[in-house]
Amino acid sequence: MAAELQLKELAQRKVLLAPGHRLCAGCGAPIVAKMVLLAASDYPVVAASPTGCLEVSTCISDYTAWEIPWIHSAFENAAATLAGVETMYRALKKKGKIDKEIKFIAIAGDGGTYDIGIQSLSGAMERGHDLLYVCYDNGAYMNTGIQRSGATPLGADTTTSPAGSVIPGKTQRRKDLTKIMAAHNITYTAQASPSHWSDLLKKVSKAVSMKGPKFINVITPCHRGWRARVEDTILLARLAVQTCYWPLYEVENGITRVTYKPREKKPIEEFLKLQGRFKHLFAPENEWIIKQFQEDIDREWERLLKEESLYA
Amino acid sequence: MDKVLMEGNAAFGEGAVRAGCRFFFGYPITPQSELPHYLARRMPEVGGVYLQAESEVAAINMVYGAAAAGARVMTASSSPGISLMQEGISYIAGAELPAVIVNIMRGGPGLGNIAPSQSDYFQVVKGGGHGDYRLLVLAPSSVQEIIDLMAVAFELADKYRNPTMVVGDGVLGQMMEPVELGPMPDLVLPAKAWATTGTAGRNTRNIVNSLYIQPEELEKVNLRLQAKYSQMAKEEKRWEEYRLDDAALVLLAFGMVARIAKAAVDKLRAAGIPAGLIRPITLYPFPDIPVTQAAERAKAFLVVEMNAGQMVEDVRLALCGQRPVHFYGRTGGVLTSVAEVTGAAKEIWEVIE
Repeated sequence: MAAELQLKELAQRKVLLAPGHRLCAGCGAPIVAKMVLLAASDYPVVAASPTGCLEVSTCISDYTAWEIPWIHSAFENAAATLAGVETMYRALKKKGKIDKEIKFIAIAGDGGTYDIGIQSLSGAMERGHDLLYVCYDNGAYMNTGIQRSGATPLGADTTTSPAGSVIPGKTQRRKDLTKIMAAHNITYTAQASPSHWSDLLKKVSKAVSMKGPKFINVITPCHRGWRARVEDTILLARLAVQTCYWPLYEVENGITRVTYKPREKKPIEEFLKLQGRFKHLFAPENEWIIKQFQEDIDREWERLLKEESLYA
Repeated sequence: MDKVLMEGNAAFGEGAVRAGCRFFFGYPITPQSELPHYLARRMPEVGGVYLQAESEVAAINMVYGAAAAGARVMTASSSPGISLMQEGISYIAGAELPAVIVNIMRGGPGLGNIAPSQSDYFQVVKGGGHGDYRLLVLAPSSVQEIIDLMAVAFELADKYRNPTMVVGDGVLGQMMEPVELGPMPDLVLPAKAWATTGTAGRNTRNIVNSLYIQPEELEKVNLRLQAKYSQMAKEEKRWEEYRLDDAALVLLAFGMVARIAKAAVDKLRAAGIPAGLIRPITLYPFPDIPVTQAAERAKAFLVVEMNAGQMVEDVRLALCGQRPVHFYGRTGGVLTSVAEVTGAAKEIWEVIE
């Protein structure tokens, strides 16, 4: 079990994602990446990322923002690539050629995780590689120009699910990847948010201290794609949690625990109204989508609380 | 006729819609993403389907399914995405299904970059996927030609029951040019008696397949495919000639590079060098006819590409050593320039003189 985290102590540690990367001002991804690396910095860490904003902006030509060993190969295979690295590490360890306790962390966007990367992710988890896979979920393919993904929420306006007078944005719900990963019966699955930094750091710290495959899904606002104010990144992440759109919970060795319960669940409109991608939902003819959105959240939140009560 | 200003990637989409394509299956990748963006809006307007798959592998197999059911169908991607599609493309070729694939080529290998390139020539012309198959490959060099060739691409795909690849690059895809669209064509699409649409009104079942366990049986299929490719080679070679009649130094280039080479030809002519240009419009079948004809007068050839020298091999093959074939290319997504091409041509000419 990981030691209790102290903010004062954490603030002394080196930030392992250096400034100078080309991510947008106000981007949620580097905030999440820095938090993840900070929480794991008790150990030497080897990281991997698939193609995406974080990858392309942190390794311009010969430069890298990563203060740790980091590998990228393609869009669909961060988990496979890191599984290969981890396998080599285990082999070297077995042969006595390496004795360090090294941790392996993949940090990937939702396109490379929910969609094209789910096959390699699922395979790595099922085979039981000792690695942590963190998805920074901003709900679309932001790197290629805001195309819808399997993580894009219902009703969102994207470049490939455009909201018009006939079709009100994305007509499908997002898939619940955290649940899918928990269904792999891996060591540890969790959902986190950069707005609740202590919760996020604890989850990462706990995950890296455990053996076996781990998965953490982190909501990561993108003001470009969400059509929101640059300064609202953390506010939006917080609202996602407070509306229970993004519940903070963990599944540790099969036992579900909700790590944050808002005293008062805010209506989803508070999350939606700050984002231009949902602007059209507030037109009278699209009210049903907001209603549907709220019903889905309520049902899932109740289900989660029930699931937790099974182990109470 | 009125002209409209259109982006190349949008023109691939509009050209497809005007060619009667109503099914698009795609996946995001730069520098072709404007094409799916365009069709995500355009397809619903014409009662068509825009569908974003979860990967290129899924997209190309959706194309396989829709093509088997007789639809005019297309997908689009850029180099690394086309690499992922290769298995599906081979299956589509093996099952003899008509489909159109747009490839907006970018710099490689590996992740490379998103800058314009022609380094997929081998991949798209010489196969790419497994097995003895060929794609019909078209290479437009202007936004207007994109519109025009998309219609040709679908016609050829249907005619030969073979996938057609239309290649561009990041410059062609993302630049804007005036185009003449004309009225929306009133198309009567050819009937596809082979399509798997159910047996209503028929006593026989249609089968779409590329699996032949018996070697002799598969060989027969291969021979039939080869006969088809020979027919393509006989009937479908397309090219443009520019100031070629008395050319002693013949340049060859396709796509965007052909426009640069064309300007270089003018510069060379102004400097008293009798240069000309052959612009292959079909990359497969390769238009060897103008090459061998030009060899009767030409002293040397210069192939210009945005790669390390790929089409140049087909030019050498066409000439069988009759004339010296030189190459000038830029790689890594670097667009060549008129000055560079002119310089390379002048060096060759000085040696000849």
